[in-house]
Amino acid sequence: MLNQLMTNDIIPPVETAAVVPFPAEATRLAEVEPTVRETELLLKIRDARDRGAFADLFGRFAPKIKGYLQRTGLNAEDAENVLQDIMIAVWNKARLFDPLRASARTWIYSLARNRLIDLKRAEQREYAALERYAGETAGDAVYEEDLLARAMGQNSVALLSLIPPEQARVLLMAYVEGKSHREIARELKLPIGTVKSRARLAFQRIRGILEKNA
Amino acid sequence: MNVTQHPDTAWLLDYATGALSRNFELVLGAHLMACAHCRSELRAAERLGAALMMAGSAERPHLAPQRVLEAEASPSPWVTARALSAGDTDALDLQTVVSQYLDCGLGALPWRNAGRGLQIARLRSEEDERLWLVKAAPGTVLPRHSHSGSELTLVLKGAFFSGQTIYAAGDIEDANECVDHQPVVTRESECLCLAVTEGPLRFRSWLPRIAQSYLGI
Repeated sequence: MLNQLMTNDIIPPVETAAVVPFPAEATRLAEVEPTVRETELLLKIRDARDRGAFADLFGRFAPKIKGYLQRTGLNAEDAENVLQDIMIAVWNKARLFDPLRASARTWIYSLARNRLIDLKRAEQREYAALERYAGETAGDAVYEEDLLARAMGQNSVALLSLIPPEQARVLLMAYVEGKSHREIARELKLPIGTVKSRARLAFQRIRGILEKNA
Repeated sequence: MNVTQHPDTAWLLDYATGALSRNFELVLGAHLMACAHCRSELRAAERLGAALMMAGSAERPHLAPQRVLEAEASPSPWVTARALSAGDTDALDLQTVVSQYLDCGLGALPWRNAGRGLQIARLRSEEDERLWLVKAAPGTVLPRHSHSGSELTLVLKGAFFSGQTIYAAGDIEDANECVDHQPVVTRESECLCLAVTEGPLRFRSWLPRIAQSYLGI
């Protein structure tokens, strides 16, 4: 009986085409391989103090980190200084990296974020998020893809276009402008509960997509 | 540790993007230490941050990797450990939480009586935020109140009811201006909580309102 069930003519071929729900999935899948490679490089730095691996990792991350820092409101010069701090920390703190807890890019993102928080608090200075984005997201202007594209680059648009625009806007304000859900509610003149549920729904949806490809 | 009551996901996004104030970060950080569920949520939020950073546009750096390696001998910039490197013992060690942020024992805090069975100590006051330790005897009924902003209450010891929900050690009650509640401490033991509030509390009745200005709540 079991043998019979195992044969091909009884079990229909698995339909694969129907289970790919989003067109952007393909571009996300293409990022799986680099993620693995980045983690390998960071492990070489951690275990062998491999300078070649560091140069490779630097090439992959430094421009992206600098872009991220500038989007959060730093000018090019400050971003350059903070970038240097972050890259020194990557080299010196690599021994703390645990690939079971996070991929290299998540670890490096957290390091960059922590450095930003420390600076913000130490200098008691608010890094105003780039005014041009803040202005455009604040008003009644409907969410537009090209706004997002200018703010974040085309790949982010692919990621964020998978969720409704009003949810994408909340994530954009959180991750690009570094605003808290309370600040977002104030700025969009929405009840706090509305912002919370938009953030939650958006996050759950995107998280599902990222995890399928992680 | 059996943590069942969690802060809203929006708080973990704030934690991941670095948008929290020191006081809210402190209370959430203590909960994260005890709560595997929220740690996993937070890691997902950080993965999303990393994905958006890598998908975002790039800026060409002037810095060269060799410069960084030459600077190897120089001390690392100070980066506070958060989240990913934070302890994940699944336990809420009261002593650790308290000694990490206080340079004195609980007994030495400036406790003030805030009603029958209730003592509060203000730890920090920054702009419109207040960080409190709240100590209540078994069975204490707190005055019914609402808020003018967010309030996170982390149970360190004991338990209280709020509405139909019981909050025990490690749990967080996530309240705001839309929530009107009257916490009641369970009869079994004293309850100790770490709470952060935004703006003044709003009381229903006149008696706590008079005490309010004196206590600064």
